[in-house]
Amino acid sequence: MPGSQSPVSSDHEEETGEREFRANGNSMKTAELEAKLDEGNIQEAESSLREGLSLNFEEARALLGRLEYQRGNVEGALRVFEGIDLQAAIQRFQPSVGDKPSKKGRPRPESVNNVPQHAAGLVLEAIYLKAKSLQKLGRLTEAAGECKSVLDTVEKIFQHGIPDLQVDGRLQETVSQAVELLPELWKQAGSHDEAIAAYRRALLSQWNLDNECCARIQKKFAVFLLYSGVEAAAPSLSVQIDGSYIPRNNLEEAILLLMILIRKCALGKTKWDPSVMEHLTFALSLCSQTSVLARQLEEVMPGTLNRIDRWVALALCHSGARENKEALNLLRKSLHANERPDDLMALLLAAKICSEDPFLAAEGVGYARRAITCASDDEEHLKGVALRMLGHCLGRQTKVSSSDYERSSLQGEALKSLEEALSFESNNPDLLLELAIQYAENRNVNAALRYAKQFIDATGGSVLKGWRLLALILSSQKRYPEAQVVIDAALDETAKWEQGPLLRMKAKLKIFQSLPMDAIETYRYLLALVQAQRKSFGPVKASPQADDDKVNEFEVWLGLANLYSSLSHWKDVEVCLEKAQSLRQFSAETLHTEGIMYEGRGLVKEALASYTNAVLLDPNYVPCKVLLGALLSKMGSQALPVARNLLSDALRLEPTSRNAWYYLGMVHRDDGRNSDAAECFQAASMLEESDPIESFTSVL
Amino acid sequence: MSTSSPNSHPSSPTTPQKSPSSTTSSPKNPPPASISTSSSSTAATTTTNTSSPTKVQAALESLTSILPTPPSSLSTSPSPPAFVLLTSPEISSQISSLLRHPTSGSGDNHLCRWLYDTFHSSDPSLQLIVLRFVPLISGLYLTRITRRNRQPLAGFEAILLALYAHETTARNNHPITVTVPDLSHPSIYHESSSPQRNNSTDLNIAVISSSLEPHGTVRSTRRARIVGVALELFFSKIWVMSIESKLDFCEFLDQWAGTHHNKNDENEHDNNNDYEIDQDCNKGRILLPWELLGPCLRILGHCMLGGEKEELLLREKAYRACKSLYNRATHDVNPKAILAVGSLLRLVKMDKELDEVDYTEIHNTRVISI
Repeated sequence: MPGSQSPVSSDHEEETGEREFRANGNSMKTAELEAKLDEGNIQEAESSLREGLSLNFEEARALLGRLEYQRGNVEGALRVFEGIDLQAAIQRFQPSVGDKPSKKGRPRPESVNNVPQHAAGLVLEAIYLKAKSLQKLGRLTEAAGECKSVLDTVEKIFQHGIPDLQVDGRLQETVSQAVELLPELWKQAGSHDEAIAAYRRALLSQWNLDNECCARIQKKFAVFLLYSGVEAAAPSLSVQIDGSYIPRNNLEEAILLLMILIRKCALGKTKWDPSVMEHLTFALSLCSQTSVLARQLEEVMPGTLNRIDRWVALALCHSGARENKEALNLLRKSLHANERPDDLMALLLAAKICSEDPFLAAEGVGYARRAITCASDDEEHLKGVALRMLGHCLGRQTKVSSSDYERSSLQGEALKSLEEALSFESNNPDLLLELAIQYAENRNVNAALRYAKQFIDATGGSVLKGWRLLALILSSQKRYPEAQVVIDAALDETAKWEQGPLLRMKAKLKIFQSLPMDAIETYRYLLALVQAQRKSFGPVKASPQADDDKVNEFEVWLGLANLYSSLSHWKDVEVCLEKAQSLRQFSAETLHTEGIMYEGRGLVKEALASYTNAVLLDPNYVPCKVLLGALLSKMGSQALPVARNLLSDALRLEPTSRNAWYYLGMVHRDDGRNSDAAECFQAASMLEESDPIESFTSVL
Repeated sequence: MSTSSPNSHPSSPTTPQKSPSSTTSSPKNPPPASISTSSSSTAATTTTNTSSPTKVQAALESLTSILPTPPSSLSTSPSPPAFVLLTSPEISSQISSLLRHPTSGSGDNHLCRWLYDTFHSSDPSLQLIVLRFVPLISGLYLTRITRRNRQPLAGFEAILLALYAHETTARNNHPITVTVPDLSHPSIYHESSSPQRNNSTDLNIAVISSSLEPHGTVRSTRRARIVGVALELFFSKIWVMSIESKLDFCEFLDQWAGTHHNKNDENEHDNNNDYEIDQDCNKGRILLPWELLGPCLRILGHCMLGGEKEELLLREKAYRACKSLYNRATHDVNPKAILAVGSLLRLVKMDKELDEVDYTEIHNTRVISI
């Protein structure tokens, strides 16, 4: 058609020169018509345009409306458009196209209907501009209605979706714009359900949208789903294809759309939009699915993200999914001298990860020290955190230190850093708990008690660990009745499924107070709890995750076995151990109790086998090392060096093991090293004064 | 003996807490509707089992007797009373200032009872009114509960427990989960070229909010969970909530995070805290376990990126809270929180820098043709 240039092609000549109308090979300056329109003479303007360019009524109106719209006179545009009976115009060309059946393999009836398609384009553009005008006037619901009628018409014309080819460029543009506008209009009008329906219609029907446009709609919908707070109903059944994934709620739908957007970008279909990754980060972190996020980050093409940013983000993801090894490897890369060695957050994270593993603790000390240096110039408020991490790492390092001297100096340093951290963060309850544990491990029981009390105060007793630690500290001071009160108070503050550890501790306290019947009673209650739990949750597998807020059945049977073993009821011990072993087949703890049972029955060989198995299973399991050493020390002088080795090793792992000191003393005595023996006995008796009923670190 | 103090106050039995008496041993709390009849509101007793308008009217009447200055707009307004209650700034601000009063929140506090009864009226529009104050109640409750001079807060607890019980019944022992999509499976929005694997077995299922155990009292280790569930409930209706309630939320989240702001931030902070005397940043810091932080993050996301861009005050306050929370996440070295909050901060920054093109606008052309 002559003169029907697409608007895009005339881009370069716009802004310059006067506006003009062009149609049927003629052109006409707009200035004269503009004057008429300004006077309110729409009809005059229309008729002179019809004459000048030989147009029909609708065409003239559509052109005039567009002129008014372009001039920013939306009210005028609306008046012009209202003159046309758009619905009637649509009706005119609809049936002639609509009832065409598909020919041959390619169901494309439009190819023979170029003229109606063009006419339809003009009318649809007019309706679209009407909708835009209404939007600008704030009449949003009306605007949405007009916009929707554009889409309804298009769906009627193209019953099989818009084909990729052979569609009028201008019509396609109007369609794409209307598809994109409709949900925004509903959103602005506050009609959330309609907005969601419009988004889904935009994305699920075939509009032949270009990639960028489709990506924009997908992103806007994802953002709406994530943040609007309006819960979308599930998509209708008609769009559900068998076997395909159907999102059931906002988060699922948003995550799906965002993942699709990232995939599109990776395939080079769309430009990279950094905000998409941020939205996905938010959504997946909310679901605690950071390992999925890590995979998404890995999929991003090289060159789109800064590599250090990516390493750090990946490290956060892995660390959030408790994959510490991967996280630390990435952080080592990012903190390399050539990359970003002063990244405070990365340093803190690296130090934290290292603080959880004795063998990495020394490396962590390095990160923490670097963090302290960085924090002092830049972000002063993070210095406390850095000091805290330093304290943790130093404390952890003591577990692998080779000499007493090194250990005590590390411990002193650890405490110093934690105390210093407290001066920065006096309001941080976590720090109070960490100090309490550190002091308790150092057997500075009074300081530990003070901090444990402060922790319970600061948290309002909302953390179970605090209660347990306080009870342990009191037990180490042999204040059993008070510890009992603490446990009872804690039981009042916990829901029943979390009471397992508390009740077991309570039973232990009873034994220490020589009230075995009470202890057995407590276990009876625990077993009832296990039964009740089974009923309400089904059988719980003894997986590490299930321990969090459920009563751990394995621990209950093991505890009961230990209880009976302290009463020398070996038969009962055997029964309980069987139960425990059926829940967890290999465990150093059950082997430990089994060994005690054999020893109690005088079966030394079997006991030896059990202890040895336990140590093989877990080389760092101290109680069995001690018992093995003790057993060997009674087997004559030949075994003494082995016993001594084992006991020294146990003391390296746990320097506060009273039994280890005691048996080492025995070994020295038997070997005739009396002064050494005396020192060991002294240590054992000193430790006995401050021995808790369970190791302090068991609360962690 | 050190242990007497922390647990002494929350369980002090007061009237609203009576009904679900035995705590964890009872299989399930009675449904909310039955509780409302047993509670002891004086003004609402005239209604027995009536339709909503009467309930609303009764709630209004009993509220008027509690508020210091009876609202004028009630009798004159043409809108339905429940709508007035939810939207009237006059009433809301009066309720807010009563709630913020230093001695509020005890078991015999009239307003707390009113809120408790109103929620139990099982009228959805009235329940919305209670939800509107959830941020304020949670904020005051969690901030006050860890203070040294403990005060009775059973009134607040009763309201929070009512919300929790409601949600426990509604969820019927099911957790809220999200099945994380995997693009190798086809979905309604995309096709997948890879051969279909067996259906949903290898999809990740994430638990957003675990199933709820009924609780009759606030046990301190469950406190964060109970408040978290109340906030989840608030979020589910956040799109009808007034901007003030979101502002309350942001204010308290900022306090809970309890981290220092940079120097240049202090100035803008000073002019907007005239109501709380002790709004020292460090005072309000509380533990933020995930069960509390999760719902907070969703609400924060809405305040920052949902809603209208014109709500400048809200966006500004939410941004402040977000920055505090980011500092806090770094302090706790909490990777999940660092990721989530960090991405919110970056998104807001991108939003500001982005000069958005309106793709729905037509090209202005010099030549207008058919």
